[in-house]
Amino acid sequence: MKKFTSVMIFLLVILGLTLIIQTSEVAKAKDSINVAVGSPPQTMNPHGSDSDANLSVMANIFEGLLYRDIEGKLVPGLATSYERLDDLTWRFNLRQGVKFHNGNDFTWEDVKYTFLRLREPYPVSEFLSFGEMISSVEIVNGNPWIIDVKTKIPVPYFANNLHQVFIMDKESTESRSIGEIGEKPIGTGPYKFVEWVKGSYLKLTANENYWGKAPSIKNVEITPITEPSTRLAAIVTGQVDILQDVPVELFETAKSNPDIELITRPARRAIYLGLGNKPGSPTSDIRVRKAMYLAIDEDEIIEKVMFGHAFPAAQIPDEPTVGYDASIRRFNFDLERAKVLLAEAGYADGFKIKLTGPNDRYVRDAQICEAIAKQLAKVGIEVELDTKPKAVFFPEVDEHILDFYLIGWFDGTYDFGRSFTKLVHSVATGYGGLNGSGYSDATLDKLLEESEKIVSPEARAEKLRLLNRMAMEEKIAVIPLHYQEDAYAIYKGRGIEFTPRADTWILFREMSIK
Amino acid sequence: MYKCIFRRLTQGVVVLLVVSFLCFIIFQFFGDPVLTLAGRYATKAQQDAVRIKMGLDKPFYVQYFVFLKNALHGDFGLSYVAQTPVLGLILERLPASIELAISAMFIALTFGIGLGVLVSLNPRNFMSRIIMSGSLFGISLPTFLIGILLIMIFSVIFRILPTFGRGAVIKIAERWRTGIFTIDGLRHLILPAFTLGMYQMAVLLRLTRGGMLEVLREDYIRTAWAKGLSPRIVIFKHALKNALIPVVTMAGLQFGELIAFSIVTESIFQWPGAGNLLLTAVYETDHPVIVAYVMMTSIIILFLNLLVDILYGYINPKIRYE
Repeated sequence: MKKFTSVMIFLLVILGLTLIIQTSEVAKAKDSINVAVGSPPQTMNPHGSDSDANLSVMANIFEGLLYRDIEGKLVPGLATSYERLDDLTWRFNLRQGVKFHNGNDFTWEDVKYTFLRLREPYPVSEFLSFGEMISSVEIVNGNPWIIDVKTKIPVPYFANNLHQVFIMDKESTESRSIGEIGEKPIGTGPYKFVEWVKGSYLKLTANENYWGKAPSIKNVEITPITEPSTRLAAIVTGQVDILQDVPVELFETAKSNPDIELITRPARRAIYLGLGNKPGSPTSDIRVRKAMYLAIDEDEIIEKVMFGHAFPAAQIPDEPTVGYDASIRRFNFDLERAKVLLAEAGYADGFKIKLTGPNDRYVRDAQICEAIAKQLAKVGIEVELDTKPKAVFFPEVDEHILDFYLIGWFDGTYDFGRSFTKLVHSVATGYGGLNGSGYSDATLDKLLEESEKIVSPEARAEKLRLLNRMAMEEKIAVIPLHYQEDAYAIYKGRGIEFTPRADTWILFREMSIK
Repeated sequence: MYKCIFRRLTQGVVVLLVVSFLCFIIFQFFGDPVLTLAGRYATKAQQDAVRIKMGLDKPFYVQYFVFLKNALHGDFGLSYVAQTPVLGLILERLPASIELAISAMFIALTFGIGLGVLVSLNPRNFMSRIIMSGSLFGISLPTFLIGILLIMIFSVIFRILPTFGRGAVIKIAERWRTGIFTIDGLRHLILPAFTLGMYQMAVLLRLTRGGMLEVLREDYIRTAWAKGLSPRIVIFKHALKNALIPVVTMAGLQFGELIAFSIVTESIFQWPGAGNLLLTAVYETDHPVIVAYVMMTSIIILFLNLLVDILYGYINPKIRYE
């Protein structure tokens, strides 16, 4: 008995020691990199998800006709050039000599197949509404390298969306099952798919036949780590090289760590408050809208709620977006003026309003709502808080039943015209889908509709800037709060060169190791 | 005996039917999957087209019967989000969960019963008191706190164990990977297994101690000592075997829970198990994955309960099934 026990204990100790003595730093090859992301990729079907978490991964394997550089400028991709011929027609010159990862040639047939596939209700694509707008894809004068794409209605932002509509191989997509397409992607991009173990990692390797500049990092591993503190621990110990989404709560802890470097940039996403204007409601009075704007102390929200990690916003779009107007300024926080305006409007004693918002969607969303309720209480507006999970919140936005709500937005197409169509335009067929309060203003609606038919990009941008200015300064269609901040952590020891992109995509072709 | 097993199996089928039906009722109030599936920009008409094509426009009981019919053919449908077969998604994750649960159970059983016996032999000893108060921590500390503390201590401060994931794995079959045959895999297993097993360990320890203290007072134990039997035989054969009945029940029930409810541990350590899959499926209103997961864990728990009942008979011949 004694002997048996001691032998067992001895064995256990030996086993424990061998497990522990193994150094925890795994030696890494010079040209490989491991990135930890907060949300796991959902599918390998490039049209299966339009979340940035998924598009970010897909953009390494697939390419669109166009591409965005780090700052969001539109540059050539699988198309070498493009032009808008009239309000319905777009012409593209296609790149020659490009091959898919399975060896198939890239042709105009693939483009046509991809574009028409988008509108199928099943297997559903999250670019369904974009696909529905396309009426035909044809070659020009028998030249298979020039195509004309026609849309059913004028889609001024058509080209602006093409960096995220990834071209699929017609032959292998038709011949494989939906399940296989969702697991084993075949694209034209700089990286080829190796292995996807869901929940563990996605491995990619450089495409040696890539038409463009060969990527300098050869092997890539993308690891999802959903728990923020574990994510931070993983980079502190050097198990991953780059970390996306450093949580604001842990920002200071991360900053004080000598082994990692933090890189931040203003995010594209703006957080704002939607406000209804149903006739007869207090908020249909522009003085009340302005008073609420003036009563919100955004500096305090940024400092106290966001721990300094946000940037004040005066409008919904960010700088690279068509329709952004740098001349728009925030109204300065002014309690006295707010009280005067409320009194003028006949609400000297304030009124009651319900503020709805998600509590699991944006950085500290529920806490922002709480701060706003406290601030508005100072001018007598009694805010009833109603924060709830996004799965409950967004259907309510979809039904346009809210009075006052917090929501965030950035436009994947970099086009304020499209944002406005969804967010502020009166609810009608094809319009106002995310206008949660059913806000409606005939002047603004008319301006947007006029802008849709303008073919010249410059003239259209001018019109959108006018629309944006009017919506923000004159009508106060929404109350903008702030842009979030993107924060990344880099493990210092490996000499990684990394510049974060405006769209938060992590594109390995843009990185290198010294 | 066989009759009893048969009865339990039929009961099990009824439980499965009820559980899956409940899932479909809950889905009614669970958010609309079409909203995300059709993309942020889809119009109402486009959303409806998707809904009809996927059969989500039908009343929930019709959807339920379609599901049952397909499930009987072994087809649990495609995940809304991943657009790949649900059964594959779950089977791919299950080995990781089972591996973690077995290791946690192993830790809980060895340390729980081992320390429980030790403590019961010298209940007033200083060491025993320390172990008993330590077990209180195991019962009262929440899992996520234990997990994060362990990562803090062993990964960040001492840097001797990895923080997340499963490490190097070996592929046994198409969807079946295991980490228990590589040193790296075992190193990755230690912290999550302890985190998951901590509570069970504490419970089993206290149960064993209680049972042993009671049994050790019995006459037949005194007789056994008086006969001059060796301590090993008295303690393990006469006493422990009789004290184990509640421990086995508890362990069996808990094992099912370890597989089904390891969600917290799995998400702290980014352990690629089925609990982790369920969590993302809930966030993304991926109904086919949720219902298949719930049914899978129900089957496992039903099966384990049956196993426990059978084991009783062997441990204590007094219990017999007629």
